[in-house]
Amino acid sequence: MTLRSLFIPITLLLVIAFLIGPFLIIVAASFSAGETLAFPPQGFSLRWIAKVFTVESFRASFGMSLFLAIGGTAAALILGIPASYALSRYKLPGAEIVRTIVSAPIIVPGIIVGLALLRYIVVPFQVGITLALFLAHTALVLPYAVRVVSASLDNLRSDIEEAAVLLGSSRLGAFFRVVMPNIRGGIMSAFILGFVTSFNQVPVSLFLSGPGVRTLPVDMIAYMEIVFDPSVAALSSLLAFLSIGIVFIAERFLGFSRYV
Amino acid sequence: MFQNRAEALALALPAAIFAAAVFLVPVVILLSDGFRSPAGGWTISAYTDFFSNSLNQTVFLRTLRLGALVTIASAVIGYAAAFAIVSLEPGAKGKVTGLVVLPLMISPVARTYAWIVILGRTGIVNQAFQALGITEAPLRILFSETAIFIGLLQLFLPLMIISLISALENMPKDAIPAALVLGANWFQVFWKVVLPLTKEGLVIGGTLVFTGSLTAYITPAILGGSKVLMLETLLYQQVAVSNNFVAASVIAFILIVMSFAANILLKRVATARNKQRSQA
Repeated sequence: MTLRSLFIPITLLLVIAFLIGPFLIIVAASFSAGETLAFPPQGFSLRWIAKVFTVESFRASFGMSLFLAIGGTAAALILGIPASYALSRYKLPGAEIVRTIVSAPIIVPGIIVGLALLRYIVVPFQVGITLALFLAHTALVLPYAVRVVSASLDNLRSDIEEAAVLLGSSRLGAFFRVVMPNIRGGIMSAFILGFVTSFNQVPVSLFLSGPGVRTLPVDMIAYMEIVFDPSVAALSSLLAFLSIGIVFIAERFLGFSRYV
Repeated sequence: MFQNRAEALALALPAAIFAAAVFLVPVVILLSDGFRSPAGGWTISAYTDFFSNSLNQTVFLRTLRLGALVTIASAVIGYAAAFAIVSLEPGAKGKVTGLVVLPLMISPVARTYAWIVILGRTGIVNQAFQALGITEAPLRILFSETAIFIGLLQLFLPLMIISLISALENMPKDAIPAALVLGANWFQVFWKVVLPLTKEGLVIGGTLVFTGSLTAYITPAILGGSKVLMLETLLYQQVAVSNNFVAASVIAFILIVMSFAANILLKRVATARNKQRSQA
Protein backbone atom coordinates (compact mmCIF):
# COMPACT_ATOMS: atom_id res chain seq x y z
CA MET A 1 0.00 0.00 0.00
CA THR A 2 1.39 3.34 -0.95
CA LEU A 3 0.91 6.49 1.02
CA ARG A 4 -1.53 7.79 -1.55
CA SER A 5 -3.82 4.78 -1.50
CA LEU A 6 -4.01 5.13 2.29
CA PHE A 7 -4.83 8.83 2.11
CA ILE A 8 -8.45 8.35 1.05
CA PRO A 9 -9.62 5.83 3.69
CA ILE A 10 -7.73 7.52 6.52
CA THR A 11 -9.05 10.99 5.66
CA LEU A 12 -12.61 9.72 5.41
CA LEU A 13 -12.34 7.78 8.64
CA LEU A 14 -11.00 10.77 10.58
CA VAL A 15 -13.51 13.26 9.15
CA ILE A 16 -16.50 10.99 9.71
CA ALA A 17 -15.30 10.10 13.21
CA PHE A 18 -15.09 13.83 13.96
CA LEU A 19 -18.53 14.56 12.52
CA ILE A 20 -20.50 11.52 13.73
CA GLY A 21 -18.44 10.31 16.71
CA PRO A 22 -19.72 12.86 19.23
CA PHE A 23 -23.29 11.95 18.33
CA LEU A 24 -22.59 8.23 18.89
CA ILE A 25 -21.06 9.07 22.27
CA ILE A 26 -24.23 10.94 23.24
CA VAL A 27 -26.32 7.95 22.22
CA ALA A 28 -24.10 5.60 24.26
CA ALA A 29 -24.15 7.96 27.26
CA SER A 30 -27.94 8.04 27.25
CA PHE A 31 -28.08 4.30 28.04
CA SER A 32 -25.85 4.72 31.10
CA ALA A 33 -26.97 3.41 34.48
CA GLY A 34 -24.82 5.97 36.32
CA GLU A 35 -25.92 9.21 37.97
CA THR A 36 -23.78 11.60 35.94
CA LEU A 37 -23.11 12.11 32.28
CA ALA A 38 -20.06 10.04 31.37
CA PHE A 39 -18.40 8.03 28.66
CA PRO A 40 -17.81 5.12 28.63
CA PRO A 41 -21.28 4.70 30.19
CA GLN A 42 -21.48 3.04 33.60
CA GLY A 43 -23.61 -0.05 33.03
CA PHE A 44 -26.68 -0.21 30.84
CA SER A 45 -30.17 1.00 31.63
CA LEU A 46 -33.14 2.73 30.09
CA ARG A 47 -33.73 4.91 33.15
CA TRP A 48 -32.62 8.19 31.53
CA ILE A 49 -34.64 7.52 28.40
CA ALA A 50 -37.62 6.88 30.70
CA LYS A 51 -36.85 9.96 32.78
CA VAL A 52 -37.10 12.25 29.75
CA PHE A 53 -40.81 11.50 29.54
CA THR A 54 -41.41 12.31 33.20
CA VAL A 55 -39.72 15.74 33.32
CA GLU A 56 -42.66 18.15 33.33
CA SER A 57 -40.83 21.06 31.67
CA PHE A 58 -39.61 18.84 28.82
CA ARG A 59 -43.16 17.73 28.11
CA ALA A 60 -44.45 21.28 28.08
CA SER A 61 -41.61 22.64 25.96
CA PHE A 62 -41.77 19.69 23.57
CA GLY A 63 -45.46 20.47 23.02
CA MET A 64 -44.60 24.12 22.44
CA SER A 65 -41.83 23.32 19.95
CA LEU A 66 -44.07 20.89 18.10
CA PHE A 67 -46.86 23.48 17.93
CA LEU A 68 -44.44 26.15 16.64
CA ALA A 69 -42.82 23.84 14.10
CA ILE A 70 -46.15 22.63 12.67
CA GLY A 71 -48.16 25.85 13.06
CA GLY A 72 -45.35 28.23 12.10
CA THR A 73 -44.44 26.21 9.02
CA ALA A 74 -48.09 25.90 7.97
CA ALA A 75 -48.55 29.67 8.37
CA ALA A 76 -45.34 30.33 6.42
CA LEU A 77 -46.63 28.13 3.60
CA ILE A 78 -50.04 29.81 3.58
CA LEU A 79 -48.24 33.16 3.14
CA GLY A 80 -45.40 31.79 1.04
CA ILE A 81 -47.20 29.72 -1.63
CA PRO A 82 -49.26 32.65 -3.06
CA ALA A 83 -46.18 34.92 -2.87
CA SER A 84 -44.05 32.35 -4.71
CA TYR A 85 -46.80 31.96 -7.31
CA ALA A 86 -46.95 35.72 -7.84
CA LEU A 87 -43.16 35.92 -8.10
CA SER A 88 -42.88 33.13 -10.62
CA ARG A 89 -46.00 33.61 -12.79
CA TYR A 90 -46.90 37.30 -12.75
CA LYS A 91 -45.30 40.56 -13.82
CA LEU A 92 -45.18 41.79 -10.25
CA PRO A 93 -44.32 45.46 -9.69
CA GLY A 94 -41.45 45.61 -7.20
CA ALA A 95 -40.81 41.87 -7.43
CA GLU A 96 -37.21 42.24 -6.25
CA ILE A 97 -38.30 44.21 -3.17
CA VAL A 98 -40.88 41.58 -2.26
CA ARG A 99 -38.31 38.81 -2.74
CA THR A 100 -35.78 40.62 -0.56
CA ILE A 101 -38.26 41.34 2.23
CA VAL A 102 -39.60 37.79 2.48
CA SER A 103 -36.14 36.22 2.35
CA ALA A 104 -34.43 38.69 4.69
CA PRO A 105 -35.06 36.79 7.96
CA ILE A 106 -32.55 34.17 6.80
CA ILE A 107 -29.64 36.64 6.70
CA VAL A 108 -30.22 38.42 9.99
CA PRO A 109 -29.00 36.47 13.05
CA GLY A 110 -31.89 34.94 14.97
CA ILE A 111 -30.99 36.48 18.31
CA ILE A 112 -31.52 39.94 16.79
CA VAL A 113 -34.93 38.96 15.36
CA GLY A 114 -35.99 37.67 18.78
CA LEU A 115 -34.78 40.76 20.63
CA ALA A 116 -36.39 43.16 18.12
CA LEU A 117 -39.68 41.30 18.41
CA LEU A 118 -39.55 41.39 22.20
CA ARG A 119 -38.76 45.10 22.35
CA TYR A 120 -41.01 46.44 19.62
CA ILE A 121 -43.90 43.99 19.30
CA VAL A 122 -44.28 42.07 22.57
CA VAL A 123 -43.78 44.96 24.99
CA PRO A 124 -45.56 47.86 23.22
CA PHE A 125 -48.51 45.83 21.91
CA GLN A 126 -48.85 43.52 24.94
CA VAL A 127 -48.56 40.46 22.70
CA GLY A 128 -48.43 37.12 24.54
CA ILE A 129 -45.19 35.12 24.44
CA THR A 130 -46.79 32.18 22.65
CA LEU A 131 -48.14 34.41 19.87
CA ALA A 132 -44.77 36.18 19.62
CA LEU A 133 -42.99 32.82 19.27
CA PHE A 134 -45.50 31.81 16.62
CA LEU A 135 -44.90 35.04 14.65
CA ALA A 136 -41.12 34.70 14.99
CA HIS A 137 -41.08 31.08 13.82
CA THR A 138 -43.39 31.89 10.91
CA ALA A 139 -41.08 34.72 9.80
CA LEU A 140 -38.08 32.42 10.22
CA VAL A 141 -39.53 29.66 8.02
CA LEU A 142 -41.01 32.01 5.36
CA PRO A 143 -37.71 32.38 3.41
CA TYR A 144 -37.34 28.59 3.17
CA ALA A 145 -40.98 28.18 2.11
CA VAL A 146 -40.66 30.80 -0.64
CA ARG A 147 -37.33 29.43 -1.86
CA VAL A 148 -38.39 25.79 -2.07
CA VAL A 149 -41.89 26.44 -3.49
CA SER A 150 -40.48 28.93 -6.03
CA ALA A 151 -37.95 26.34 -7.14
CA SER A 152 -40.64 23.76 -7.79
CA LEU A 153 -42.88 26.32 -9.55
CA ASP A 154 -39.99 27.34 -11.79
CA ASN A 155 -39.51 23.69 -12.74
CA LEU A 156 -43.15 23.41 -13.81
CA ARG A 157 -44.11 24.60 -17.30
CA SER A 158 -46.45 27.56 -16.97
CA ASP A 159 -48.29 26.87 -20.25
CA ILE A 160 -50.28 24.01 -18.74
CA GLU A 161 -52.18 26.33 -16.42
CA GLU A 162 -52.56 28.89 -19.21
CA ALA A 163 -54.08 26.04 -21.24
CA ALA A 164 -56.45 25.23 -18.37
CA VAL A 165 -57.56 28.87 -18.26
CA LEU A 166 -58.09 28.94 -22.04
CA LEU A 167 -60.18 25.79 -21.74
CA GLY A 168 -62.51 27.65 -19.39
CA SER A 169 -61.14 26.99 -15.91
CA SER A 170 -60.98 29.93 -13.51
CA ARG A 171 -57.49 31.07 -12.46
CA LEU A 172 -58.13 29.73 -8.96
CA GLY A 173 -59.47 26.44 -10.31
CA ALA A 174 -56.42 26.09 -12.56
CA PHE A 175 -54.16 26.66 -9.56
CA PHE A 176 -55.81 24.03 -7.37
CA ARG A 177 -56.45 21.45 -10.09
CA VAL A 178 -53.35 21.85 -12.26
CA VAL A 179 -50.56 23.56 -10.32
CA MET A 180 -51.03 22.23 -6.79
CA PRO A 181 -50.90 18.51 -7.70
CA ASN A 182 -47.65 19.16 -9.57
CA ILE A 183 -45.87 21.05 -6.79
CA ARG A 184 -47.06 18.83 -3.95
CA GLY A 185 -43.57 17.33 -3.53
CA GLY A 186 -42.04 20.78 -3.27
CA ILE A 187 -44.60 21.87 -0.70
CA MET A 188 -44.02 18.75 1.41
CA SER A 189 -40.27 19.29 1.20
CA ALA A 190 -40.69 22.93 2.24
CA PHE A 191 -42.80 21.73 5.15
CA ILE A 192 -40.16 19.26 6.34
CA LEU A 193 -37.31 21.75 5.92
CA GLY A 194 -39.34 24.37 7.79
CA PHE A 195 -40.29 21.91 10.52
CA VAL A 196 -36.69 20.85 11.19
CA THR A 197 -35.44 24.47 11.03
CA SER A 198 -38.08 25.71 13.43
CA PHE A 199 -37.79 22.76 15.80
CA ASN A 200 -34.00 23.09 16.17
CA GLN A 201 -33.99 26.88 16.31
CA VAL A 202 -32.54 28.45 19.46
CA PRO A 203 -31.46 32.12 19.09
CA VAL A 204 -34.86 33.45 17.91
CA SER A 205 -36.63 31.90 20.89
CA LEU A 206 -34.02 32.87 23.47
CA PHE A 207 -35.57 36.15 24.59
CA LEU A 208 -39.11 34.97 23.92
CA SER A 209 -39.66 32.88 27.00
CA GLY A 210 -42.00 33.44 29.88
CA PRO A 211 -43.17 31.52 32.93
CA GLY A 212 -43.69 27.95 31.72
CA VAL A 213 -43.42 28.99 28.07
CA ARG A 214 -40.21 27.89 26.38
CA THR A 215 -39.14 25.96 23.32
CA LEU A 216 -37.53 22.58 23.83
CA PRO A 217 -33.94 23.39 22.80
CA VAL A 218 -33.94 26.51 25.02
CA ASP A 219 -35.31 24.39 27.86
CA MET A 220 -32.57 21.80 27.28
CA ILE A 221 -29.84 24.45 27.53
CA ALA A 222 -31.37 25.77 30.76
CA TYR A 223 -31.63 22.23 32.17
CA MET A 224 -28.04 21.26 31.36
CA GLU A 225 -26.74 24.35 33.14
CA ILE A 226 -28.28 23.09 36.40
CA VAL A 227 -28.35 19.29 36.24
CA PHE A 228 -25.48 17.18 34.97
CA ASP A 229 -27.29 13.88 34.48
CA PRO A 230 -27.66 11.92 31.22
CA SER A 231 -31.28 12.93 30.62
CA VAL A 232 -30.35 15.69 28.16
CA ALA A 233 -28.20 13.14 26.32
CA ALA A 234 -31.16 10.76 26.21
CA LEU A 235 -33.46 13.50 24.96
CA SER A 236 -30.90 14.59 22.36
CA SER A 237 -30.63 11.03 21.04
CA LEU A 238 -34.40 10.67 20.82
CA LEU A 239 -34.74 13.98 18.94
CA ALA A 240 -31.87 13.15 16.63
CA PHE A 241 -33.43 9.80 15.67
CA LEU A 242 -36.77 11.55 15.18
CA SER A 243 -35.35 14.14 12.75
CA ILE A 244 -33.13 11.61 10.94
CA GLY A 245 -36.22 9.42 10.56
CA ILE A 246 -38.32 12.27 9.16
CA VAL A 247 -35.63 13.32 6.68
CA PHE A 248 -34.98 9.70 5.66
CA ILE A 249 -38.66 9.05 4.97
CA ALA A 250 -38.91 12.36 3.11
CA GLU A 251 -35.91 11.51 0.95
CA ARG A 252 -37.27 8.02 0.25
CA PHE A 253 -40.75 9.15 -0.80
CA LEU A 254 -40.31 12.72 -2.05
CA GLY A 255 -36.75 12.97 -3.26
CA PHE A 256 -36.43 15.72 -0.65
CA SER A 257 -32.84 16.69 -1.61
CA ARG A 258 -33.95 17.82 -5.10
CA TYR A 259 -35.67 20.81 -3.52
CA VAL A 260 -33.26 21.86 -0.80
CA MET B 1 -46.65 35.31 -17.55
CA PHE B 2 -49.94 36.69 -16.29
CA GLN B 3 -50.32 40.44 -16.57
CA ASN B 4 -52.94 41.21 -13.94
CA ARG B 5 -51.18 43.51 -11.45
CA ALA B 6 -53.93 43.63 -8.84
CA GLU B 7 -54.03 39.85 -8.67
CA ALA B 8 -50.23 39.68 -8.38
CA LEU B 9 -50.19 42.17 -5.54
CA ALA B 10 -53.02 40.42 -3.72
CA LEU B 11 -51.00 37.20 -3.82
CA ALA B 12 -47.64 38.65 -2.83
CA LEU B 13 -48.51 41.40 -0.38
CA PRO B 14 -49.67 39.34 2.63
CA ALA B 15 -46.26 37.64 2.87
CA ALA B 16 -44.37 40.89 2.27
CA ILE B 17 -46.45 42.84 4.79
CA PHE B 18 -46.10 40.07 7.36
CA ALA B 19 -42.31 39.91 6.99
CA ALA B 20 -42.06 43.70 7.09
CA ALA B 21 -44.24 44.05 10.21
CA VAL B 22 -42.88 41.13 12.22
CA PHE B 23 -39.29 41.29 11.11
CA LEU B 24 -38.08 44.26 9.10
CA VAL B 25 -39.58 47.19 11.03
CA PRO B 26 -38.70 45.89 14.54
CA VAL B 27 -35.14 45.04 13.46
CA VAL B 28 -34.62 48.46 11.84
CA ILE B 29 -35.90 50.22 14.98
CA LEU B 30 -33.63 48.03 17.13
CA LEU B 31 -30.61 48.91 14.98
CA SER B 32 -31.41 52.63 15.10
CA ASP B 33 -31.34 52.55 18.92
CA GLY B 34 -27.54 52.43 18.91
CA PHE B 35 -27.33 55.67 16.92
CA ARG B 36 -29.80 57.67 18.98
CA SER B 37 -28.47 60.23 21.41
CA PRO B 38 -30.24 60.46 24.81
CA ALA B 39 -30.60 64.22 24.22
CA GLY B 40 -32.31 63.67 20.89
CA GLY B 41 -30.65 63.59 17.48
CA TRP B 42 -28.11 61.10 16.21
CA THR B 43 -24.69 60.08 17.45
CA ILE B 44 -22.11 57.33 17.16
CA SER B 45 -20.98 57.70 20.77
CA ALA B 46 -22.45 54.28 21.66
CA TYR B 47 -20.02 52.79 19.14
CA THR B 48 -16.97 54.66 20.43
CA ASP B 49 -17.98 53.66 23.98
CA PHE B 50 -18.39 50.05 22.93
CA PHE B 51 -15.01 49.80 21.25
CA SER B 52 -13.16 51.66 24.00
CA ASN B 53 -14.11 48.96 26.51
CA SER B 54 -11.34 46.34 26.66
CA LEU B 55 -13.71 43.43 27.36
CA ASN B 56 -15.71 44.33 24.25
CA GLN B 57 -12.52 44.60 22.19
CA THR B 58 -11.48 41.16 23.38
CA VAL B 59 -14.86 39.66 22.50
CA PHE B 60 -14.95 41.38 19.09
CA LEU B 61 -11.45 40.21 18.17
CA ARG B 62 -12.13 36.72 19.52
CA THR B 63 -15.26 36.46 17.35
CA LEU B 64 -13.33 37.51 14.23
CA ARG B 65 -10.41 35.23 15.11
CA LEU B 66 -12.60 32.20 15.72
CA GLY B 67 -14.57 32.91 12.53
CA ALA B 68 -11.34 33.10 10.52
CA LEU B 69 -9.70 30.05 12.14
CA VAL B 70 -12.80 27.88 11.77
CA THR B 71 -13.10 28.93 8.10
CA ILE B 72 -9.43 28.18 7.35
CA ALA B 73 -9.49 24.85 9.19
CA SER B 74 -12.70 23.79 7.48
CA ALA B 75 -11.23 24.71 4.08
CA VAL B 76 -8.10 22.60 4.68
CA ILE B 77 -10.01 19.60 6.05
CA GLY B 78 -12.80 20.20 3.54
CA TYR B 79 -10.49 19.91 0.51
CA ALA B 80 -8.97 16.67 1.82
CA ALA B 81 -12.40 15.21 2.59
CA ALA B 82 -14.00 16.38 -0.67
CA PHE B 83 -11.07 14.97 -2.70
CA ALA B 84 -11.42 11.64 -0.93
CA ILE B 85 -15.20 11.59 -1.45
CA VAL B 86 -15.22 12.46 -5.17
CA SER B 87 -12.63 9.75 -5.82
CA LEU B 88 -14.99 7.08 -4.44
CA GLU B 89 -17.22 4.91 -6.59
CA PRO B 90 -20.74 6.30 -7.15
CA GLY B 91 -22.48 4.02 -4.62
CA ALA B 92 -19.96 4.60 -1.85
CA LYS B 93 -19.86 8.31 -2.68
CA GLY B 94 -23.60 8.69 -2.01
CA LYS B 95 -23.36 6.87 1.32
CA VAL B 96 -20.35 8.82 2.56
CA THR B 97 -21.93 12.12 1.47
CA GLY B 98 -25.02 11.05 3.42
CA LEU B 99 -22.88 10.53 6.53
CA VAL B 100 -21.35 13.99 6.07
CA VAL B 101 -24.80 15.60 5.72
CA LEU B 102 -26.36 13.59 8.57
CA PRO B 103 -25.14 15.88 11.39
CA LEU B 104 -26.99 18.81 9.75
CA MET B 105 -30.29 17.08 10.61
CA ILE B 106 -29.38 16.77 14.29
CA SER B 107 -30.19 19.57 16.72
CA PRO B 108 -27.15 21.83 17.24
CA VAL B 109 -27.84 21.65 20.99
CA ALA B 110 -27.37 17.87 20.92
CA ARG B 111 -24.28 18.11 18.74
CA THR B 112 -22.67 20.72 20.98
CA TYR B 113 -23.66 18.92 24.18
CA ALA B 114 -21.60 15.90 23.08
CA TRP B 115 -18.40 17.92 23.45
CA ILE B 116 -19.05 18.31 27.18
CA VAL B 117 -18.76 14.54 27.50
CA ILE B 118 -15.61 14.52 25.42
CA LEU B 119 -13.79 17.63 26.64
CA GLY B 120 -14.99 17.91 30.27
CA ARG B 121 -12.83 17.39 33.40
CA THR B 122 -13.69 13.69 33.50
CA GLY B 123 -14.21 13.49 29.75
CA ILE B 124 -12.68 11.12 27.26
CA VAL B 125 -9.77 13.38 26.33
CA ASN B 126 -8.75 13.92 29.96
CA GLN B 127 -9.15 10.21 30.75
CA ALA B 128 -6.88 9.35 27.84
CA PHE B 129 -4.30 12.02 28.70
CA GLN B 130 -4.13 10.89 32.32
CA ALA B 131 -3.96 7.20 31.42
CA LEU B 132 -1.08 7.94 29.05
CA GLY B 133 0.62 10.04 31.73
CA ILE B 134 0.57 13.20 29.61
CA THR B 135 -0.91 15.21 32.47
CA GLU B 136 -1.37 14.62 36.19
CA ALA B 137 -4.35 16.85 36.86
CA PRO B 138 -7.23 17.07 34.37
CA LEU B 139 -6.73 19.78 31.75
CA ARG B 140 -9.25 22.56 31.49
CA ILE B 141 -10.37 22.27 27.88
CA LEU B 142 -14.04 23.06 28.31
CA PHE B 143 -15.01 26.74 28.59
CA SER B 144 -12.12 27.90 26.44
CA GLU B 145 -11.58 29.21 22.92
CA THR B 146 -10.26 25.79 21.95
CA ALA B 147 -13.54 24.16 22.94
CA ILE B 148 -15.55 26.75 20.97
CA PHE B 149 -13.25 26.26 17.97
CA ILE B 150 -13.77 22.48 18.02
CA GLY B 151 -17.53 22.84 18.44
CA LEU B 152 -17.89 25.36 15.60
CA LEU B 153 -15.68 23.34 13.30
CA GLN B 154 -17.81 20.24 13.83
CA LEU B 155 -21.00 22.23 13.37
CA PHE B 156 -20.04 23.89 10.06
CA LEU B 157 -17.52 21.55 8.40
CA PRO B 158 -20.30 19.65 6.52
CA LEU B 159 -21.32 22.88 4.72
CA MET B 160 -17.76 23.38 3.46
CA ILE B 161 -17.39 19.74 2.39
CA ILE B 162 -20.66 19.82 0.42
CA SER B 163 -19.69 23.08 -1.35
CA LEU B 164 -16.28 21.67 -2.26
CA ILE B 165 -17.67 18.32 -3.45
CA SER B 166 -19.87 20.05 -6.02
CA ALA B 167 -17.03 22.38 -7.03
CA LEU B 168 -14.65 19.43 -7.55
CA GLU B 169 -17.28 17.52 -9.51
CA ASN B 170 -17.77 20.47 -11.85
CA MET B 171 -14.04 20.67 -12.53
CA PRO B 172 -12.98 19.34 -15.97
CA LYS B 173 -12.06 15.66 -15.48
CA ASP B 174 -8.72 15.88 -17.30
CA ALA B 175 -7.39 19.05 -15.63
CA ILE B 176 -5.38 17.20 -12.97
CA PRO B 177 -3.94 14.45 -15.23
CA ALA B 178 -3.01 17.13 -17.77
CA ALA B 179 -1.12 19.15 -15.17
CA LEU B 180 0.66 16.01 -13.91
CA VAL B 181 1.69 15.01 -17.43
CA LEU B 182 3.09 18.49 -17.95
CA GLY B 183 5.35 17.93 -14.95
CA ALA B 184 3.56 19.71 -12.11
CA ASN B 185 3.97 18.27 -8.60
CA TRP B 186 0.95 17.74 -6.32
CA PHE B 187 1.42 21.06 -4.57
CA GLN B 188 1.47 22.92 -7.90
CA VAL B 189 -1.54 20.93 -9.09
CA PHE B 190 -3.51 22.10 -6.08
CA TRP B 191 -2.31 25.69 -6.09
CA LYS B 192 -2.35 26.41 -9.84
CA VAL B 193 -5.14 24.12 -11.10
CA VAL B 194 -7.55 22.90 -8.41
CA LEU B 195 -7.76 26.07 -6.33
CA PRO B 196 -8.57 28.44 -9.24
CA LEU B 197 -11.10 26.00 -10.68
CA THR B 198 -12.90 25.43 -7.36
CA LYS B 199 -12.66 29.00 -6.09
CA GLU B 200 -16.43 29.55 -6.20
CA GLY B 201 -17.16 26.48 -4.12
CA LEU B 202 -14.53 27.57 -1.62
CA VAL B 203 -16.04 31.07 -1.39
CA ILE B 204 -19.60 29.75 -1.01
CA GLY B 205 -18.55 27.25 1.66
CA GLY B 206 -16.30 29.81 3.32
CA THR B 207 -19.08 32.39 3.54
CA LEU B 208 -21.48 29.88 5.06
CA VAL B 209 -18.88 28.75 7.62
CA PHE B 210 -17.67 32.28 8.41
CA THR B 211 -21.11 33.87 8.90
CA GLY B 212 -22.32 30.75 10.71
CA SER B 213 -19.39 30.97 13.15
CA LEU B 214 -19.74 34.72 13.71
CA THR B 215 -23.43 34.44 14.53
CA ALA B 216 -23.41 31.12 16.40
CA TYR B 217 -25.04 31.29 19.79
CA ILE B 218 -25.37 27.71 21.02
CA THR B 219 -21.70 26.74 20.71
CA PRO B 220 -20.17 29.64 22.67
CA ALA B 221 -23.03 29.50 25.19
CA ILE B 222 -22.44 25.81 25.99
CA LEU B 223 -18.69 25.42 25.35
CA GLY B 224 -17.48 28.92 26.27
CA GLY B 225 -19.48 29.39 29.45
CA SER B 226 -20.08 32.84 30.90
CA LYS B 227 -16.41 33.90 30.76
CA VAL B 228 -15.26 33.14 27.21
CA LEU B 229 -17.79 35.21 25.26
CA MET B 230 -18.41 35.74 21.57
CA LEU B 231 -20.49 38.63 20.17
CA GLU B 232 -23.78 36.68 20.32
CA THR B 233 -23.29 35.55 23.92
CA LEU B 234 -22.13 39.07 24.84
CA LEU B 235 -25.34 40.44 23.29
CA TYR B 236 -27.37 37.97 25.34
CA GLN B 237 -25.56 39.00 28.54
CA GLN B 238 -26.01 42.71 27.81
CA VAL B 239 -29.77 42.16 27.62
CA ALA B 240 -30.39 39.43 30.18
CA VAL B 241 -27.84 40.48 32.82
CA SER B 242 -27.07 44.19 32.34
CA ASN B 243 -30.30 45.38 30.70
CA ASN B 244 -28.10 47.45 28.39
CA PHE B 245 -30.19 47.71 25.23
CA VAL B 246 -27.96 50.32 23.60
CA ALA B 247 -24.94 48.00 23.76
CA ALA B 248 -27.16 45.17 22.47
CA SER B 249 -28.14 47.34 19.50
CA VAL B 250 -24.48 48.14 18.78
CA ILE B 251 -23.56 44.43 18.82
CA ALA B 252 -26.57 43.60 16.64
CA PHE B 253 -25.46 46.21 14.10
CA ILE B 254 -21.89 44.87 14.06
CA LEU B 255 -23.15 41.31 13.53
CA ILE B 256 -25.47 42.35 10.70
CA VAL B 257 -22.78 44.43 8.97
CA MET B 258 -20.37 41.48 9.10
CA SER B 259 -22.99 39.00 7.79
CA PHE B 260 -24.02 41.36 4.98
CA ALA B 261 -20.42 42.02 4.01
CA ALA B 262 -19.83 38.28 3.70
CA ASN B 263 -23.04 37.82 1.68
CA ILE B 264 -22.17 40.68 -0.69
CA LEU B 265 -18.78 39.11 -1.25
CA LEU B 266 -20.56 35.87 -2.10
CA LYS B 267 -22.82 37.59 -4.65
CA ARG B 268 -19.82 39.36 -6.20
CA VAL B 269 -18.07 36.06 -6.77
CA ALA B 270 -21.24 34.51 -8.18
CA THR B 271 -21.82 37.35 -10.68
CA ALA B 272 -18.13 37.44 -11.67
CA ARG B 273 -18.50 33.76 -12.50
CA ASN B 274 -21.64 34.34 -14.58
CA LYS B 275 -19.89 37.08 -16.55
CA GLN B 276 -16.98 34.77 -17.27
CA ARG B 277 -19.39 32.08 -18.40
CA SER B 278 -21.35 34.39 -20.67
CA GLN B 279 -18.15 35.75 -22.24
CA ALA B 280 -16.81 32.27 -22.86
